[in-house]
Amino acid sequence: MTTLAVRRAAGSALVYVRSMAVFLVIWALVAQWTANAILLPSPVAVFHALADLAADLELFLHAGISFGRMVVSLAIGSLLAIPLGLSMGLSRRLDQVIDPTIEILRPISGIAWIPLALFIFGIGNALPIFIMTYAGFFPILLGTIAGVRGVDRRLIDAARTMGVPPRTIVTRVVVPAALPSLMVALRLGVASSWTAVVAAELIGAPSGLGYAVEWYRELLMTPQVMSFIAMIGILGYLCDLGVRALGRWLTPWARDARASS
Amino acid sequence: MSAATPTAQRTMPPTGANHATGWRARIGRGVALPLALLALWQALGMASHNVRMPVPTRVVAAAIELVRSGDLPMALVQSLSRVFAGFAVAAAVAIPLGLAMGSVRSIERNVDPVVESFRPIAAIAILPLAILWLGTGTAAAVLIVAYAAFFPIVINTVAGAREISPTLLRAAATMGLPRVRIIRTVVVPAAMPSIGVGLRIAMGVAWTAIVAAELAVGAKAGGGGSGGIGQMMFIFYAYSIELNRIIVCMIAVGLVALVLDRLLRGGMRLLMPWAGP
Repeated sequence: MTTLAVRRAAGSALVYVRSMAVFLVIWALVAQWTANAILLPSPVAVFHALADLAADLELFLHAGISFGRMVVSLAIGSLLAIPLGLSMGLSRRLDQVIDPTIEILRPISGIAWIPLALFIFGIGNALPIFIMTYAGFFPILLGTIAGVRGVDRRLIDAARTMGVPPRTIVTRVVVPAALPSLMVALRLGVASSWTAVVAAELIGAPSGLGYAVEWYRELLMTPQVMSFIAMIGILGYLCDLGVRALGRWLTPWARDARASS
Repeated sequence: MSAATPTAQRTMPPTGANHATGWRARIGRGVALPLALLALWQALGMASHNVRMPVPTRVVAAAIELVRSGDLPMALVQSLSRVFAGFAVAAAVAIPLGLAMGSVRSIERNVDPVVESFRPIAAIAILPLAILWLGTGTAAAVLIVAYAAFFPIVINTVAGAREISPTLLRAAATMGLPRVRIIRTVVVPAAMPSIGVGLRIAMGVAWTAIVAAELAVGAKAGGGGSGGIGQMMFIFYAYSIELNRIIVCMIAVGLVALVLDRLLRGGMRLLMPWAGP
């Protein structure tokens, strides 16, 4: 059983390496053919740049700044969205009061707030954090509401029959039952706020991965640009992996659903 | 959402007359908060005595002005045409690729690593490369949109093609249909609802991406970009400081997103009545 699992993992790792090797070879050939190191550097040049940036820690500095901003934004977003989502999911009346406002704001993407936010916050830490909090807020809120609504009615009725006070019903029945849906929502929130960080930093921050990408583009140092783009992808992937692991740890009974975005 | 129905039935009054008042109360509750927020905004704006300060009445005036001068419709048309171009490119690549990946196991095994490696890279992160390769015009914007729209379409197409009942495939194979014909007559119709979901998600992502791309081009290419709603917002921010007009643009961005989503939803229901909500 375990040897089979190991063999299967080794097999898929092999396929991964093989596919990426083919991709890199095609890239190298196209780079040879283009023969313009600024337009399309070879993969080797990009790996050298990546190693250099990692060696003098510049890569990790910007990555750390962007990651820190995302953690702060998600913390703020969750603190606002989860209690609101719980109350909206539990009270139909509250839902009817607040839902239209949410639906009016939701189609306005976080990125569309950037020019206005530049006025309010200026260039600095506050702007990306605001944009990312906004971007992460809606998926978390909607997921929490859907999770609460999806709680089996019979569980709540059973608890009520046994005379459990409402507050305890929320903390011991509703929250645990809604948790799997909430973790999926958190994953979507991470994805959408990570997308927003790049745009926000590209335009309105003096540091971070988005800023670094743009800085090196202006210097026409394409290998460095590609290194930072790769770092955006790697860190985004690791964040997703982290949230998924957190979900498995908190809700071992839930199926690991693949998000549709 | 089926779990929500018991509560809905419980709160629903039994008779017709009460039913109507229930609806009225519901609409009243829904409108109250937005109106209160607008009134608060207006009051705070009036209190500040700053002519630049945006307030709802000035936003409405700015909206009328921008629509009448034709600037706003023009910018929206430009952005939308870029979105449609990029979206069409993405669909033309992603749907065949997704169908091939979803119906032939070895293609999926070999292509999936590459797709999954690029998926976490946000479309906006590609923007500096797009500017480098294609300049600050429409071509770069279309590339960003196509990149952004590609992933939701390909992932949902693969999922749709993979979840076809094997009985259908075996039946088709038993009747001696060649593989290409099976894909056309069995796989495609069965995967359609899932492809539709992918297209709808992709349209939302594409619209967000075009706004971001035009905004960033405006910000980073020294205003040398070419039009679109994002560019317009940046001009109002950087050159003619007009907060009211920026807010008009934000509302326009939201409305277009909403209309696109509703149109695609309606279109899917019309084309594929079997697909469910």
